[in-house]
Amino acid sequence: MRSQLVSQEKKSVGLYGFTGCNGDQLVIIHSEDQLLPFFDSANIKSFSLAKSDNDNSELDLAFVEGSISSQEQAEHVKAIRERTRYLVAIGNCACYGGIQAMELGAKGWDQRFRKVYGDGFFINRTPIESKPIDVFVNVDFYLPGCPIDARQFFYCFAHFLQDDEPVFPDYPVCAECRWRENDCLLLKGELCLGPLTAAGCGARCPSHNLTCLGCWGPMKEANIGAEFNLLKEKDYSLEEIKRRFRMHTGSGMMKPLKKLLGAL
Amino acid sequence: MREIVVEPLSRVEGEGGITVQLDGKRIKDVRFDILEGTRLIETLVVGKTPQEDVSIACRICAICTLSHRYAALRGLEKALGIEIPPKAHHMRSLMHLGECLESNSLHVFVLALPDFLGYPSAIAMAEKYGNEVTQALALKKFANHIMEVTSGRMIHGENPTIGGFGRYPDREVLLNIKKQARDFLEFAVYGTNLVAGLDIPSFFEKETVFMCCEPGNEFGLMGDSIRISTGEVVDCNDYKKLTNEKFCPHSAAKHCLYKGKPFTVGALARVNNLGERLKGQAGKLFKKHWNDRWLKNPIYNNHAQAVEIVWALEQIPGVVDDILKIKEDPALVKPARTEGEGVGAVEAPRGTLYHHYQIKDGLIADANFIIPTGQNLEDIEKYMRLAVQGMIDQGADDDAIRLQLEIICRAYDPCISCSTHMVRIERV
Repeated sequence: MRSQLVSQEKKSVGLYGFTGCNGDQLVIIHSEDQLLPFFDSANIKSFSLAKSDNDNSELDLAFVEGSISSQEQAEHVKAIRERTRYLVAIGNCACYGGIQAMELGAKGWDQRFRKVYGDGFFINRTPIESKPIDVFVNVDFYLPGCPIDARQFFYCFAHFLQDDEPVFPDYPVCAECRWRENDCLLLKGELCLGPLTAAGCGARCPSHNLTCLGCWGPMKEANIGAEFNLLKEKDYSLEEIKRRFRMHTGSGMMKPLKKLLGAL
Repeated sequence: MREIVVEPLSRVEGEGGITVQLDGKRIKDVRFDILEGTRLIETLVVGKTPQEDVSIACRICAICTLSHRYAALRGLEKALGIEIPPKAHHMRSLMHLGECLESNSLHVFVLALPDFLGYPSAIAMAEKYGNEVTQALALKKFANHIMEVTSGRMIHGENPTIGGFGRYPDREVLLNIKKQARDFLEFAVYGTNLVAGLDIPSFFEKETVFMCCEPGNEFGLMGDSIRISTGEVVDCNDYKKLTNEKFCPHSAAKHCLYKGKPFTVGALARVNNLGERLKGQAGKLFKKHWNDRWLKNPIYNNHAQAVEIVWALEQIPGVVDDILKIKEDPALVKPARTEGEGVGAVEAPRGTLYHHYQIKDGLIADANFIIPTGQNLEDIEKYMRLAVQGMIDQGADDDAIRLQLEIICRAYDPCISCSTHMVRIERV
């Protein structure tokens, strides 16, 4: 069945960067061994970080990095959506809004904007508070990470080239950490987000004796309540917990926490 | 009116563009537009712990993530009264050399060189320059490996932390880095000679001022004072005198001026200011290729980056030995106090980077970051203007002007994600 859908022609692919650090596109450029095969396996129509001859033609697949933080970017991502069959959000900024979408309270953004730019205005952009891609367009697949993991990206890319949806197991960083036989930092009393955070990084930070900061975003069925109670038991204040929860994932971990706090 | 627009500018980090407005033969405007979205990073770190700040601030940029982390650590550790142990210091030197290698080889071979050889990308170049592209990618891979080993991940690794490192790498891994650094030297020398053989146009040349960290007696990427090509040396705590910022409506990054004049930071500034100190192969290449056009033409930033690649490869074996000499892995140094102020200055690949922090009750009370590309913006526009004038006089068409301006912009290796995070308007 599937083989009928797969066309013999190379797929047309575009990579786009909005607001962020360009780290997800850079992960691809940094995959030296895969770079030439990557450019060979599809028609890369647009990848402005890597090449100059980019166009706005129809796409089978668009990878979008970064959050949306101006009206012009919102229009641009809508235009990309209209000419692509699949749109994949790559990286934390695209999936959750990233650090720049940290929830710092109502009206906070206007005040912070004025603190940075004064009453200045831009002749070429209309800034808005940073938001994830799916606030503006339909997203077919989310590939989180800050930045993304190269193996996960190429796995995902290869699946879409075959018109197949990639499947990632739903388990937390905590599981990867166990496999690496690290000592549990949470049990030592440190504020580790490993039990809540989607796996994919290979438990990098805990393997360096450093706590998980949640930069992969929340795991789907994370037990926020259990972690919250454990941290309270360990004498962390609500403020400290909230600060850590909202650091890397926009509203990703804050939404369930707020729900929980509302229920308490 | 004739308008020449490049948008987006490709093969640079972040979203930028170029706009030129011409009224007959008269230039109305030449702008380097910063189109990247605003992120307000300095306001995000307020109220966070120093530890959390380091994790946020490094995410300003993926290419120079370790320079941001290093500048943040230096600023915060000064504020908190932390002296890191020698082994941690050597590890930070190694990670910084790794990033210099990574960023310079990415820029010289993947982003800039295709222009000079007439290709849209390094990938397209591979057909004719297969060996060069393959070796350049291998060199970049090695540099990424150093970043991964020292920082815990290729990009945004958390291992370099307040007071030292979470974990130190194994001896075998470090010895392998030492060996590979020696192996890559031959290609790096070849690459520098390749770049030095390119034909560089001269019609937009003009002298400028160069600034970089003063590392002491040798060539280097870090220091607590700033050396200016005018001969002055200024304490990094006085960085605001060097980088008066002004807001420009076409740029989400604020522009910097020194005594009302534009200046240049980055590899070219370092090599022009400190090149006489280079030894070994890097010193030989400097003596062979440097001439006073390097003081007037930003395209030579590519050349300076190539020389730095050689320098970094020659530095690595000694730094690895320094790390291995100290057998015991030191524990993280705890803060001596919970209040204080500190300015951390390091040379990011693109130039001097400042992180300035105030800490109260153990939390960040205020932060100010001054970014290299922001400091270069005025000079980028100055040289573009000179180029446009020269090319109109020669009767060049739009495409030729567009390509020349892209080459000038790209030579600066602008980091647009970085430069949009300049904070606060200083009304001096």
